[in-house]
Amino acid sequence: MQPSRVATMIVVLAAIGGSLLLGDVKLSILVGVIVTAIAALGLDVLVARTGELSLAHAAFLGIGAFTAINVGSRGAPWPVAILVAVATTAAAATIAGLPSLRIRGLQVAITTLAFQGFADVFLFTRADVTAAGRTWSRPSFLRTDVRLYVFALTLLALVLVVRHRVAVTKAGRTFLAVRDIEDRARVFGVEPGPSKLLAYAISGAIVGLGGSLFALKAGSISAKDPFLLLESLQLVAILVVGGTGSAAGIVTAAVLVKGVPQFMSTIPFTDLKADRIVPIGSAALLVVAVVVSPEGIGGLYRAAGRLLDRMVGGGRRERPEPRPRVVDARAPGAALLPHVDRPLSLRMPVPALLEADDVRVEYGGVSALDGVSLEVRRGEIVGLIGANGAGKSTFFNAVSGLAPVTGSIRFRGVELVRRPASIRSALGTARTFQDLGLVRAESVQENLLLSQTWLARYAAAVGIVGLGGSVRTERELRRRGGIALEVFGLDHLARERVGSLPYGTMRIVEIAAAVAAGPDLLLLDEATAGLGPEESHALGDRFLVIRDELDLTLVIVEHHVPLVARVCDYAYCLESGVLIAEGKPLDVTADPRVVESFLGAGAASTGTASGGATP
Amino acid sequence: MLARIITGLSAGAAYALVAVGVVLIFKCTRVLSIAQGEIGAFGFFIGLRWAARGIPGLGWHPARFATLLIAVVVGALLGGLIERIVIRPLVDRPPLDALIATLGIALFLALLEKEMFGTATQFAPSPVGEWKVTVLGATLIAPRIVALAAAAIVALAVYLFFSRTRFGLAVRATTGDSTVAQLMGVRVNRVYRFAWVAAGALAGLAAALLGPAFGGLTPFAMTKFSLRALAGAVIGGLDSIWGAILGSLLVGVLEAVVGGQFTTSGTAELSVLLLVIATLVVRPQGLLGTEGAT
Amino acid sequence: MNGAPVETLLAVEDLCSGYGSLQVLFNVDLDVRVGEVVALMGSNGAGKTTTLRAITGQLRKTGGRVRFAGTDVTRERTESLVARGISVVPEGRGMLRDLTVAENLEMGGYAIRDRRAVAEATDRAYETFPILGERREQKAGRLSGGQQQMLAVARALISSPRLLLVDEASLGLSPVMTETVFALIADVRRTSGTAVLLVEQNAGALDLADRAFVLEKGQVVDRAEGAEMRAMQGRLRDAYLGRREAG
Repeated sequence: MQPSRVATMIVVLAAIGGSLLLGDVKLSILVGVIVTAIAALGLDVLVARTGELSLAHAAFLGIGAFTAINVGSRGAPWPVAILVAVATTAAAATIAGLPSLRIRGLQVAITTLAFQGFADVFLFTRADVTAAGRTWSRPSFLRTDVRLYVFALTLLALVLVVRHRVAVTKAGRTFLAVRDIEDRARVFGVEPGPSKLLAYAISGAIVGLGGSLFALKAGSISAKDPFLLLESLQLVAILVVGGTGSAAGIVTAAVLVKGVPQFMSTIPFTDLKADRIVPIGSAALLVVAVVVSPEGIGGLYRAAGRLLDRMVGGGRRERPEPRPRVVDARAPGAALLPHVDRPLSLRMPVPALLEADDVRVEYGGVSALDGVSLEVRRGEIVGLIGANGAGKSTFFNAVSGLAPVTGSIRFRGVELVRRPASIRSALGTARTFQDLGLVRAESVQENLLLSQTWLARYAAAVGIVGLGGSVRTERELRRRGGIALEVFGLDHLARERVGSLPYGTMRIVEIAAAVAAGPDLLLLDEATAGLGPEESHALGDRFLVIRDELDLTLVIVEHHVPLVARVCDYAYCLESGVLIAEGKPLDVTADPRVVESFLGAGAASTGTASGGATP
Repeated sequence: MLARIITGLSAGAAYALVAVGVVLIFKCTRVLSIAQGEIGAFGFFIGLRWAARGIPGLGWHPARFATLLIAVVVGALLGGLIERIVIRPLVDRPPLDALIATLGIALFLALLEKEMFGTATQFAPSPVGEWKVTVLGATLIAPRIVALAAAAIVALAVYLFFSRTRFGLAVRATTGDSTVAQLMGVRVNRVYRFAWVAAGALAGLAAALLGPAFGGLTPFAMTKFSLRALAGAVIGGLDSIWGAILGSLLVGVLEAVVGGQFTTSGTAELSVLLLVIATLVVRPQGLLGTEGAT
Repeated sequence: MNGAPVETLLAVEDLCSGYGSLQVLFNVDLDVRVGEVVALMGSNGAGKTTTLRAITGQLRKTGGRVRFAGTDVTRERTESLVARGISVVPEGRGMLRDLTVAENLEMGGYAIRDRRAVAEATDRAYETFPILGERREQKAGRLSGGQQQMLAVARALISSPRLLLVDEASLGLSPVMTETVFALIADVRRTSGTAVLLVEQNAGALDLADRAFVLEKGQVVDRAEGAEMRAMQGRLRDAYLGRREAG
């Protein structure tokens, strides 16, 4: 085991053991700290995973606490009260998250601010909502403060487990994809809308649990301060100072901000009053953390862990060569990748795998594709060339459902137009993007799981608790991902962060991810951008190999036309959204109209190009 | 009814002062600042303190009117300081980072005010006198009238600045395309600083007029008031100065009218919040904003 | 230039640049002499715009040097270039769409202290481009593509630059319009002696250039001047579309 892990366990156990020796008053304070920590951890699920900021989490905490008291004080058993509180808060958070289906980023932050405002002036001023005068007495087994504290620790542990499960299953993966690549995630089978709402629900459920704990501790609530706007801002402060995504950092920040002012009257070695200086200090620290150290306390922990591993563990971990290995032999199990169960029986014999008929795409009155008809036969590598703005990527977007199309696009005889983008991968198409459709912040391995989202046929929420065959499915997806990496000689990079790799390697990881999804048709958008001449050449060879090994059909958009001439069976040339030439690659590049399209008007007539009048 | 509308307009005019600053900052630096209220409040707190106790070191008690000037100057200085040390390092980072930073600034200033001035409501004598005017059945106290006048003057000044001055043109060029503006020789950092300084000054002015109009100031109260300015900016369109003024006036009127119709507490605020959410969902760019700008 | 010694105006040596971990330029060398038109050719993604952005400091240089009129401007800020005499017609024409034609021209002279010279240059611009004079008060965003390109060139000339950098003037223009814009640039050089670096895919740029460089995958792979220019077009075709075994 890594030294840093051992050290973490020792510190955590020592902290828990030591805290149990504290007196009742201090334990009770610690329960309050845990409430805040749970709320911040819940907020973190939203912020770190979806990139959206909620300024309403104090309100959610209040909804949880008040619901628990309302239900508990009416005689419901405590587990019921907690469950109702968790469910209600999850529902409230989901409702507050509804606007995020239409808007994003700053605007979402504003709507959550509005929700907090609504809670401040409307919800929490109602006696029936706030359970005024009602008391929820603790169940007998939680009567003492030690017991309540242990119970609180158990809930905190539960929250950490849930966060871990979210991270390693479909839920967390799709949250990140929606955050970083938005609509493009749909080609993996991700549904952005439901995915976002699920993130709000999970975040709300966690905060609801924190609220229940608050209610258990307090019994009845008269002061609304812990649930108002100021507290929401403070939760954000704790989150950012602790470091988004880092549970250890966030818990530490909660202890510092909420615990320290109550534990000590003055800051050690100074005569500063702790309860006055800590809030200001945390606000200042928030600003400093955002500007200087976005990773917060969590970042410090990670740095310390790395240092410890290096000193005690002996020698640093070798960074693997960030380039694909040369693969000559057939990767074992490669033939397994194409074997996936399609939801529809599509293996019907049609001459052309892909048939586009009079495809038109318009953006705001400007026509990006103007009546393109082409076909791609099974087992071919087809090149799509053309100058900037010719409509090559638009054509890919049309096929993968990311552009508003009129006309007809049939894949294996099935009409694709007006079908959602998120089912294309299930039908058997996969693609790469010009500007990289991967989550850079995640590892190569995680991205290869993400691309197989359509194969993860369990409900995201169910996967978090490990049911619905999710464990078995995940194991299978990992195996497929491993094979795809071997096919491209990337297996030694599985644990590397995509964003830390050279651009050219990222592009190949993206191709591997697309292949892992088991497609029949692979659309590659400028696969060789960022690669040197030799690497480009090698990748061209790779196309030929995977076509045969994986039974694939490829369409490649490529700026570097010589590559098209070398590997393609057939080529199409687009200009301003219209097809101007098609045929064998060498015939297409010799076509005067193609020459003119690349070199400009007049170039063909100056006698330097391959002459001949336009037909 | 008419009286309520007029009262609402006067409140909306004060919100508009903050909102114009919010939009100026947003247009120039793509940062949504929720610290504007507290920046202004801090300036006014300083002004009140100095008026009561004298300027430290000088022992000179500024006249009451000077509290307004102090609020404006301190607000402007704070704005410039924040731009330099907080906002500029965040230029290439996700927009939420800067939002969080301004949130931290708001929190910091509010808590600092609490430390320096206590939590009790600060009695805030009007810097512009104690007279009243009755228009169409609405009795308006001096700060409200001055707020209306100030908003009108600011609107005129903004118009002249952008249409008549070279620097105003440079600001417009920068908000249109900062890369092109740079190629034309515009020092865009100066434009960004200008936006924050001007917005800080406007926030100070708003605080000095709003505080007395609402019977005093407590730490954090201005942030709550400025949320209405934010609402006005969002409704009008975050990248439109005229939108911000229109939106803020709308918010003021809506609050006054709904608050008059329903006595249940919080209903007026609720109506504003609903309008904000409805705007964001139906027309995310706001009434006069440009599509895709936010 | 009346037999005056050939003087290097812009010298780019070993320039390397890119976006994040993506290196786009690999040791690009090129130069522009006083009063000449140089074409920097290349197909999509060859690194043409990147070269221009690296020269103007809009993009970080990871290596190499840039000198202008004998002064090292490698670390110069983008904002200071106009005052030094470098003017840019940016990619996609760089219209300030919400500003009027007149205001766009005014921005062209923003950094120039000599207001008289700016006023004269503005009058000259309206003379050269009567259509801009007619549409003085119209928003630039509402001009046609060709008119926008004219405005972009006119705006860049208000500062009376010694060097004009033009990024893909032909992009999105009809063949006729492209010829007009090229003719215009040839005029600029003839009448004002301004040197021009034309960054182009369109081979038509070769007709007005004194010298040319060809970029491929971020490297200068070919260069030509004088009599060699005629052979350049055929070679360019190979660079874009691949070499043919026969021919």
